[in-house]
Amino acid sequence: MSTEEKKETEGTDISRRQFFKEAGAISAAVAAAAASSVIAPEEAEARTTFAEMFQKNYRLMTDEEKKEAIARLEQRHSEEYGKKVTVDGSPAIKDVLFGYALNIQKCIGCRRCVHACVKENNQSRHDPEIQWIRVIKMEKGNFTVDDMNKGYPANANESFGIQVGGNAYKNSGVALEGQHYYQPETVPEKDAFYFPIQCHQCEKPPCVKVCPVRTTYRDPDGIVVIDYNWCIGCRMCVAACPYWARRFNWGDPNLPAEEMNPNTHYLGNRPRMRGVVEKCTFCLQRTRKGRYTACLEVCPVGARKFGNLLDPESEVSKILDRKKVFRLKADMNTYPKFFYFID
Amino acid sequence: MKSKIDFVLDFFSYGLKGGAKYYTWLGILALFILPWAYGSYQQLVAKGMIVAGYTDQISWAIYEGNFVFLVGVAAAAVTVVFPYYVYHYKPLKNVVLIGEMLAITAVIMVILFILFHMGRPDRLWHLIPIIGIFNWPNSMLTWDILVLNGYLGLNIICGFYSMYKRYTGQPLNEKFYMTFVYISIVWALSIHTVTAFLMNTMPTRPMWFHSLMPIKFISTAFAGGPALIIVALLTVRKNTKLEIPDEAINLLSQIVVWCLGIALFLILSEVVTELYPSTEHSFQLKYAMFGMFGLTKMAPWMWASYIMMIGSFILLLIPSVRKNYTILPIICVTLFIGIWIDKGLALVIPGMIPSPIGEFSEYTPTWIEIFIVAGNWAIGFMIFTILAKGAIGVMLGDVLHPSAVGKKVAHH
Amino acid sequence: MKTRRIIKVTFGALVVGTMIFGSGRFQTQAQQEQPVQSAAATAPVTDCFESREGYTAVTRVENVTPDGNPNVKCSPTTNGVLWWGDPFDGTVPMGDMPAFGPDDKTRGDYETEEAVVKPREPMLMYFNMEPTQNCAFCHNGQTVPFPTDKNPRLLAAHQDIVENSMQLMHGRAAFWCLDCHNATNRNKLIDHKGNEVSFNQPQQLCGKCHGEVYIDWRMGIHGKRIGSWTKGGKKRWWVCTECHNPHTVQVNRFQAIKPELAPALPKGMKDAAHEQHHGGGPAPAAGHGEAAPAKH
Repeated sequence: MSTEEKKETEGTDISRRQFFKEAGAISAAVAAAAASSVIAPEEAEARTTFAEMFQKNYRLMTDEEKKEAIARLEQRHSEEYGKKVTVDGSPAIKDVLFGYALNIQKCIGCRRCVHACVKENNQSRHDPEIQWIRVIKMEKGNFTVDDMNKGYPANANESFGIQVGGNAYKNSGVALEGQHYYQPETVPEKDAFYFPIQCHQCEKPPCVKVCPVRTTYRDPDGIVVIDYNWCIGCRMCVAACPYWARRFNWGDPNLPAEEMNPNTHYLGNRPRMRGVVEKCTFCLQRTRKGRYTACLEVCPVGARKFGNLLDPESEVSKILDRKKVFRLKADMNTYPKFFYFID
Repeated sequence: MKSKIDFVLDFFSYGLKGGAKYYTWLGILALFILPWAYGSYQQLVAKGMIVAGYTDQISWAIYEGNFVFLVGVAAAAVTVVFPYYVYHYKPLKNVVLIGEMLAITAVIMVILFILFHMGRPDRLWHLIPIIGIFNWPNSMLTWDILVLNGYLGLNIICGFYSMYKRYTGQPLNEKFYMTFVYISIVWALSIHTVTAFLMNTMPTRPMWFHSLMPIKFISTAFAGGPALIIVALLTVRKNTKLEIPDEAINLLSQIVVWCLGIALFLILSEVVTELYPSTEHSFQLKYAMFGMFGLTKMAPWMWASYIMMIGSFILLLIPSVRKNYTILPIICVTLFIGIWIDKGLALVIPGMIPSPIGEFSEYTPTWIEIFIVAGNWAIGFMIFTILAKGAIGVMLGDVLHPSAVGKKVAHH
Repeated sequence: MKTRRIIKVTFGALVVGTMIFGSGRFQTQAQQEQPVQSAAATAPVTDCFESREGYTAVTRVENVTPDGNPNVKCSPTTNGVLWWGDPFDGTVPMGDMPAFGPDDKTRGDYETEEAVVKPREPMLMYFNMEPTQNCAFCHNGQTVPFPTDKNPRLLAAHQDIVENSMQLMHGRAAFWCLDCHNATNRNKLIDHKGNEVSFNQPQQLCGKCHGEVYIDWRMGIHGKRIGSWTKGGKKRWWVCTECHNPHTVQVNRFQAIKPELAPALPKGMKDAAHEQHHGGGPAPAAGHGEAAPAKH
């Protein structure tokens, strides 16, 4: 509200109060005045909501419209969380293609990345609890001589050609049937290794293909982004993602104001609303400004590496050049830019 | 224009008029509306989908299951339209309109379930081309939207155009009408095919990722849909003056038995293909059939469905059973429920278990979800009852424009 | 027609009903869920550690960044640092990284970019000594005489660092404390050629033996860097001893730490017992069902 407007409303308030006083209805007047001063920001909020409701897909907005949308969000979130919230709209940096490499040999499964990500990216803390990274505990396998003959039929003639038994049922290695809810005293555990999974920022993303409104799309730096204000919540992308990277705001997100990270990006970690999909963006609010991702920075063993795939001197490029690298579910032909490697 | 408004008003007035039995039926259905309204308010307004049993692991469940199943019911109208218009099988004369009314109802129900599936139903306008973005032809969902709305339109045109002409006693414009009828026949196949494509184009979900899916969808639809039509026809025959010849019902029960046979064969093929090599990709079907790692919630449903379908098939193979109109509706209802489980619950939900990165979890619907699903079905039955009643009125000549009284025009 | 009126009345009733519902009068109180207690809401964790518990301590200080953030935010569960407000808080320039010959490709952009480290020397405090005195406070040649040779012997002190000095858990008995620690200047390390090495740059010593890992570290493949990923951007490098304890590295490459909390179970799941049954087989009892309980 401009100062001039403010004066005006104050003026009318006073005159109204005067009028009621004269009429002898003091209490009613106080109540009315209080109500009128409360309504004003709500009206502004309603106007913002209304404007947001009819805004275009971010990708198709003009620079002017983008600025307006961002200003609206900054104002709304600053009020909502009681601190100065900035919403960045930086586009992809030229000649940068983001890539991520994770040393699966080093990961100790401490889940710091998971929680750092939540802190950085303003996910809903509970009901629903949203985490963009999932760490899976894998078995190293425990093969014993004692199990050699277990499970085989005693009489070979009764086996009906079924030829498994013994140690065959032991789990070992990357079988994608690990434990998601492990909670030991300390990590790493002796007979396990760990496998973190998050959005792979595919070059051929199935999620983008199935989206009926193109609210999710691939930016030039390779990040698959979502315009949360355009998402209709159909969850086609959730069903299509081979890496289970996408999460849905089943209800209104619960983000305590004191935990809210005020440095946000329109396509990244700005607070989301009910009924939309979200996922890892390689912390684009940080990475587009040159900073490493939050998950990388907290990894206590340095298993996480990030950088520009187009720069041969970058850490990821060096890893692709020198290490044994694999991509998860290569058979899906999605060409992830998230690589797993071993020394 | 006035005669059109009169037609709509007369049609629905007739549809809402009936005896005590009729009002009892509508009243029972109306009882489901209150919990439905409560559930809808909770989900759509107050809290969002968190009131349902959905999780990030199981992000498609009962709404989507019903959606898939009802697309099949809608497509099944073709089982009466096709023999009547292509083979000129006269006993179906009075059945075609009822089939079309069922198709309209089923598509409306599909839209209703989709509304509850959406996280942001308020943003559905984003799909409208020009003001929104319609990611066609990339997104399979946009294809589905096209074919489903097209099908709704076609059936409204075919059904209501012919009824309107009867109402005013004018002859049909054959060229106009038959063009739409033929399009609608092909279109019916397309709606269920595209719905199958919606799911089976996701290699992420191995249980859905096979090319049998469209034909399996169509064959189960052409078993379940006509089964429902048979029950409706027997009810109509008992309670109204509309003439439904035995031949019509016999033809439909034959369609049911053969389509069900094909469906069972396809299910068998799928089960053998998945379970013989038993790779990680068969976990989803294995979970559905036997449960895995102590999680067995789906297995009883799956087997109940198999038993219902196989049992109905065997019984329907016997001609005397097929022609016994006391037993037939019971079998049809059983079969209908069996297919509803197979396509509604046991296809969609296990497709999510385990998750693409191997996490097993189970799905339990909340009461709110059950209220909504039951309410949607009640609304569906209500719409179908009223539409069918109105259509019967037109066919009997009870719903007639004053100017048409006494006119005699030959109609299909 | 009578039924037409019925339609109108029913429609009207529906509209009114919807409005009543819409006003939220029927909202139950049950939806007022108790918010889960957020630990950060009460008092933020201040005594944190970065990677090695006990050796990489850092204290949270409020309002150190220009936008009013603390230097670090830590986990209430484990005290581990979960977020750096200022990645360069308390760092010093890393200093020289000599090239391996004229066309050394292992240094990446080191020549052009700013590299900083967190100095390790202030960590040398022992028995609550003054930081300026460090190890040399006692190891001055008089209080503790300088040793004359590098042969292993039983130590009178420092069992908390090296439990049994006759069996140093590093180098598989090939060397001993004084192969790394400078006998006459305990505030410094020493390499095999007798060059003094700062505790702030242990890589110059470690790299002498662990050449391959050292090369990976120089290229940013091994080890950890935070700050700016950009070409030429400022980075804080983690040095060897920030992650590895050289005294026990033979048995513990990385000291075990407490993990952060597991995700919440999906709605409708009471426990994750089924995860213990994994292994692809039909009967968990036959295989490793009992093999891997979630206990260390």
